[in-house]
Amino acid sequence: MDQILFALLNGTIYGLLLFMVSAGLTLIFGMMGVLNFAHASFYMLGAYFAYTLEPFVGFWFAILLSPIVVMGLGVCVERFILRRVHAFGHAHELLVTFGLAVVIAELVKMVYGNFAVDYRVPAELSFAAFTLSGLDYPIYRLFMGGVAVTMFITIYLLLTRTRVGIVVRSAIYRPQTVEALGHNVPLVFMGVFGIGAGLAGLAGAVAGAFYTTNPNMALELGVMVFVVVVVGGLGSMGGAMAASLLIGITNSLAVGSDLRAVDVLSIVGLGDWAEKSGGLLTISMSSLAATLPFFIMLLVLMLRPSGLMGEKE
Amino acid sequence: MAIRNLLRGTAAVALVCCAGAAFAEPLKIGLVETLSGPQASTGLFYRNGVIYGIGKINAEGGFGGEPVELLEYDNQGGPVGAADRVRAAISDGARIIIQGSSSAVAGQITEDVRKYNLRNKGNEVLYINVGGAAMELTGAKCHEYHFRMTPNADIIVNALLDGMKENGALGENVYAINQNYSWGVDVQNSTLASAERLGFTVVEETLHEVNKIQDFSPYVARIKESGADTVITGNWSNDLLLLMKSAGGAGLDARFGTAFLDQPGNIGNAGAIAEGHFVATSFNPEANAEKSKAFVEDYKSVIGHYPTYVEPQGVFGMMLLKEALKAVEPTEDGLKAADLVVALENATVETPMGHMSMRAEDHQARLPMVVQKVSRDAVYKADESEFGFVPVKLVSAEDAEQPVQDSCKM
Amino acid sequence: MNFKYIILFAAVALLAVLPWLVSDSLLNAAILMLIAALFAMAFGLLCGQAGMLSFGHAAYFGVGAFASVHAMNAFDGEGLLPTPLLPLVGAATGLVSGILAGYFSTKRTGVYFSMITLALAELLHALAPHLKHVFGGEAGISSFRMPAWGIEFGSFTDVYYLTLVWTLLSIGLLYLFSKTPLGRLALGLRENAHRLRFLGYNTHALSTLIFAVSAMFAGLAGALQSLNIEASNYVVLESQISTAVVLNSFIGGVRVFLGPAIGAAVMTFFGYISSDLTRVWLLYQGIIFVLVMMFLPRGIVGEIAERIKNPSCDGLAQTAITMAQRIASLAIAAFGAVFVIEFLQRVLSTEYRAVARDGHWPDITLFTYDWSPVSAVPWGLGIGVFALGIRLAIIVNRRAAARQEAQA
Repeated sequence: MDQILFALLNGTIYGLLLFMVSAGLTLIFGMMGVLNFAHASFYMLGAYFAYTLEPFVGFWFAILLSPIVVMGLGVCVERFILRRVHAFGHAHELLVTFGLAVVIAELVKMVYGNFAVDYRVPAELSFAAFTLSGLDYPIYRLFMGGVAVTMFITIYLLLTRTRVGIVVRSAIYRPQTVEALGHNVPLVFMGVFGIGAGLAGLAGAVAGAFYTTNPNMALELGVMVFVVVVVGGLGSMGGAMAASLLIGITNSLAVGSDLRAVDVLSIVGLGDWAEKSGGLLTISMSSLAATLPFFIMLLVLMLRPSGLMGEKE
Repeated sequence: MAIRNLLRGTAAVALVCCAGAAFAEPLKIGLVETLSGPQASTGLFYRNGVIYGIGKINAEGGFGGEPVELLEYDNQGGPVGAADRVRAAISDGARIIIQGSSSAVAGQITEDVRKYNLRNKGNEVLYINVGGAAMELTGAKCHEYHFRMTPNADIIVNALLDGMKENGALGENVYAINQNYSWGVDVQNSTLASAERLGFTVVEETLHEVNKIQDFSPYVARIKESGADTVITGNWSNDLLLLMKSAGGAGLDARFGTAFLDQPGNIGNAGAIAEGHFVATSFNPEANAEKSKAFVEDYKSVIGHYPTYVEPQGVFGMMLLKEALKAVEPTEDGLKAADLVVALENATVETPMGHMSMRAEDHQARLPMVVQKVSRDAVYKADESEFGFVPVKLVSAEDAEQPVQDSCKM
Repeated sequence: MNFKYIILFAAVALLAVLPWLVSDSLLNAAILMLIAALFAMAFGLLCGQAGMLSFGHAAYFGVGAFASVHAMNAFDGEGLLPTPLLPLVGAATGLVSGILAGYFSTKRTGVYFSMITLALAELLHALAPHLKHVFGGEAGISSFRMPAWGIEFGSFTDVYYLTLVWTLLSIGLLYLFSKTPLGRLALGLRENAHRLRFLGYNTHALSTLIFAVSAMFAGLAGALQSLNIEASNYVVLESQISTAVVLNSFIGGVRVFLGPAIGAAVMTFFGYISSDLTRVWLLYQGIIFVLVMMFLPRGIVGEIAERIKNPSCDGLAQTAITMAQRIASLAIAAFGAVFVIEFLQRVLSTEYRAVARDGHWPDITLFTYDWSPVSAVPWGLGIGVFALGIRLAIIVNRRAAARQEAQA
């Protein structure tokens, strides 16, 4: 029982981390129809900038300042690169962000080297929050979860309770109409892109200290974030949250499980046959954990293409 | 560089054509390493070691009175890139191929070299493997022209377990957690095989996805539940770092025995969490301090830093090659590969750690191993942190040696 | 029109005599370029003609590669499937897997289509390491090209001709395909699928068919690759392979027939040469790609074709001069940028950082000269040359614009 509780808790925290990164992406995706391949790169940059700033301003200011720097970078990317490519169509926008992701990854490697850098959880935050069946639960995990939840509530309130939020939401839904009504949609795009990048940067700054800050971290998370956005539904904050949690928790549960297709089949007496035929049937759930998100995405795309909570197809 | 090499290669070919066999060109060695992309970090370390080692070969007169020429190729991290870089190297005139990072690439290169030699009898090339640790390279895939200069999974795990046992750090309940591919499986098998000899039980073994897992806490929970007091893992890179950090954060009270803890960045990043954990490698500067000091200082004066991680492996491999080259007489066409094979099989070299030689049956090097522990007392600190590796046991080449695999038919 | 055929004929003739012209090493590069070109052409059919952006084409390439390796081992290059016919196995498996995957993925359009192709490819890639008897684990599956039809297939030249024949044949078939009614319908699918449906076409079946044809040629390219390296490894299923073909095709230009092939050939050659020259060749590749996307949205070949088709009112000679000036000024800028990047890379490299402790900055050798990183000379030189190149390019552009204005 404890183990399942543990898995659920960890899955939730991991899901919240996914949410932090994908929150900005889903807004950008919903609004511009662009899957931003460079989004996970902003996550990585957030971690590296925080690492760079930490010796000068301390951990707390570093994780506050780094997202702002990343946000500035995001604004520049939108203003000087994406906007130029916008006229050529979605495919070009998407591909230009892909090229950017390559450039950012290579620059990071050039400046910070190939190995993980020494960016760690500060001493004042490395203690156990509580103990569950003999295992400490690091307070920093709860801190990460807390940041994500705060972020969710803030964005949600901003989007639903303020005038700016209404413009943004309608720009996601019908950009042309909003422009016709006299709103400066390019400015909104730029703002949302910048904020989205900044949020990813914040996630990186917070999570980079707990996991590792290395040049491959964008690659590792990148595809997962896409999955979240597609499963959740374009531009839907709630959907992104639900999808993040779904993927985080299934991942965490699957990793802890040794269930094999053989075991299920042996209930109906097909165990021997399955054992003999081998292949996929004898692979345990835990080693298939990495394939689950794609499987979920495929299912969602086939059955409900607008995503769990998306409204737009 | 490549263009120049190409031109030089073409020019050399032209010269050979015109001048016939009277002209012997300098021995060329092709380093086919991962120099770009996500896995470049390790490849660049092998490169350092090899460059230093080749420098030593040339300092002692090179081969046949001519300095040895090192050609560098970037295999771009994968077997596909490696396949055509090996061909490029051979067509540029390389007689020896060197590679270290990644067993997958090593598997491709050893097969390519075998096929090339089948098609070009009398004009063979050699593959010197300075890092690929998969058992099958000296097992089912072994052949006459492949030489492994580094320890394989069996050697590493046995040395590690012996060293931990001797220091009272090996508990009775061992948990084996490894990456789900040949290397991880080899480590797991070696751990299981040693259980009886060293009197421990493997309470549970886990194979997980390679470099895909962000959150290791479910695995840590399983380790905790199994009641293991020692964790043996062949994990490298992020998989090792995240596993240790997760275990440290959860306050898991278990000793780690590893194979790649000395990878740069690990100690700096894990900090105090890594303290007291073990690693077995083929070099530690504090073992045989006098000889080692001379070596590391000389290395630093050439490469710019103390040898770390896989660099010594590369250097020792080149040292053995140097001894073998001394014993070979150049023919009119330069190096005759078959002669070098014999010379390598008979070569012995004194590395700072002790004797190193090549086993003729499967071309697996016999070399000493050092079991070491992360400690604040280390003389040479890792990653500019306050920690470093202190040797706890030096296993001689004879003691570290493991039996030849039955699957190897030369 | 005739001019086009002359160029085409000359190119084929050049390819045919290539083994006598270049070294083995370059011939090896040529084989890779041909395979990449064919793969890109297969992708171009789907993306350029039918407007479906696939992010998972590595799957079909890989399936073809593995099928042919297995066939190579099973038949030993004899009997029903002698070595030269092995690519047919790749094509057949590519076609079958294309029909299956195409049926599902073409149910959706636009970005959803892309995501399904991505998901399918990633699923296959994630499963492959676990299916050891099919994909051979991380060591891959190895095989041996057997002699057939009196040819050894041992030398580069033999393999080159084998690849060349198959590539040219496939590109020819792809060209004919684009001229068939089905090929024309693919264009309709790209431009307006709704309208096609109103006209009574079954767009889903149509898309599936085109997807399958594209996957078939991708599989054929995969088979050629495994014939070339005599092995296959599950890394061919990686997402980098899928994205590489997308990038190559777009750099060449997906909307012109030979665009993807030329883009892929150029980029493969670039990778082949530059990866041994510099550690940061991926950075250059990324920068080139971003720049092409921003300034040459039609791709390199597309842009050239456009210029030839619609020469500006200056006339062909003036256009050519302007073009040459532009290229020259951009080359100057590129030299400056490369200088700065290479210098920076050397200053930041771990080797240099290890040497340059305690405020001591030794000189760095770059382009055969020694430069001190603390002096302003190398930085100023690099940035200056870069700025000069950009400035020249702007001047050239302004002049061209002014001329056009004057004429209009």
